[in-house]
Amino acid sequence: MSFADAVTLAWEFLEQLALAAIDLDKLDVADVCLQKLGAKFPGSPRLEVLTGIRMEASEPITTVLEYYNDLLIADPTNAAAWKRRISVLRRARSLDKATEELIQYLDTFYTDPEGWLELADIYVSNRQYTSALQALSHALVLNPQNPFTFVQFAETAYSSGDLPLALKMFLVAIEMMERDLESPETKPPAGLAFRAWWGIKLCARHLLGGASGVSSSPSNTPVPKHLKSVDALATERVLGAYKGKELEERRRLVEHWLSSSK
Amino acid sequence: MAPTVRISAVAYYKLYFHAAKHPHQPVNGVLLGTQDKAGGPIEVQDAVPLLHHWTSLSPMMEIGLDLAGQFAQENGLKIVAYYQAQRNVGDVGLGPVGEKLLGRLREQFKDVVGFVIDGEDFGTDKAALNPWTYSGDQWKAVPPSDKPFSQGSVYQLASPDLPTKALHYVREEGHHQAFGDFDDHLEDVTIGE
Repeated sequence: MSFADAVTLAWEFLEQLALAAIDLDKLDVADVCLQKLGAKFPGSPRLEVLTGIRMEASEPITTVLEYYNDLLIADPTNAAAWKRRISVLRRARSLDKATEELIQYLDTFYTDPEGWLELADIYVSNRQYTSALQALSHALVLNPQNPFTFVQFAETAYSSGDLPLALKMFLVAIEMMERDLESPETKPPAGLAFRAWWGIKLCARHLLGGASGVSSSPSNTPVPKHLKSVDALATERVLGAYKGKELEERRRLVEHWLSSSK
Repeated sequence: MAPTVRISAVAYYKLYFHAAKHPHQPVNGVLLGTQDKAGGPIEVQDAVPLLHHWTSLSPMMEIGLDLAGQFAQENGLKIVAYYQAQRNVGDVGLGPVGEKLLGRLREQFKDVVGFVIDGEDFGTDKAALNPWTYSGDQWKAVPPSDKPFSQGSVYQLASPDLPTKALHYVREEGHHQAFGDFDDHLEDVTIGE
């Protein structure tokens, strides 16, 4: 590593240290870091945002909002300052204002998947599932290779009552994660895939149960033709993760759930 | 008159560790216990921590609740309460999702109580739990003037030093790190109960 690289790392470290200190309420440590950074990088927009974050820890919300407003008046393209302001609005529970601003922000800075995910999260906490799905579909466009976003979409679709859509998205996520799986018997699902198989099983179970209206889909997603096979496969995959003596008790609980129908 | 609710050490510690392990995130779970007759005193004996991720989304919540219900039944218990911590420290509201969940739980247990963890009081010697009950068609917070979890209140901890002990377990012994909820279980089957 060159000396110049080491020096850059040292300053970045100070920034990280400041953030960690604020997290742990060690504001005096944060202030020392900010002082040193301020001396080295006067007028830096990055430092201005860090200062804002430090203010969020101890100043009243109106003061902090005013500070970010000033930054944005001076430089309307300061995306980081805008995002900070939106997160402060959310924390202050001005949800309508936060949502309005976030939408404006995303109009300007469309290619920010984190922004779309945050918008979806705000909608979902208020049970506005259709709007959440719209926001998530933008996140999907920006991150088409990320199974995580597909699973989030699937779970949101399920929460909104669109089971066929949820099932479809869970299956897409599995296809992404397990398409190269050579021997499924020896490789039970783990991590996100495990969660997705549970989701598939849950959807399939309800859809097979045939309660009235269960397969209605506001997005007009059809129910897959081989639903029973999907259901059987999901059962097998979920159960396949519970192998061995130590997991016997849990396997029994899970088996019981899997075999009961609703 | 709301039934008395007594929370055992085991249940309180589990709920506490769950919240302590995820300080930046919302968490939720259910409490299991017994009640001899409708309207009678409720003994909370255990807690089943559920989610700390996507807490407003329903599929894993549904599965978690089903499994918790099954476990409860097998052990002669019922789901008697729901607990949550909101993402913002100052937020002690039930929120639309919490209300919906409680509504569902109430179908199975009439006297179900909601507990919202109070981020400001968490880590002190106070219980830091704000109870919500159903009356007159709505979920209402028990007024602070009722002083829940103090002497003579309908809401009691098995012993008043539980919060201090729990804090000790978290601070000095890091018990909360070895702890897993349903979300953790979904990532790694060997975690959790």
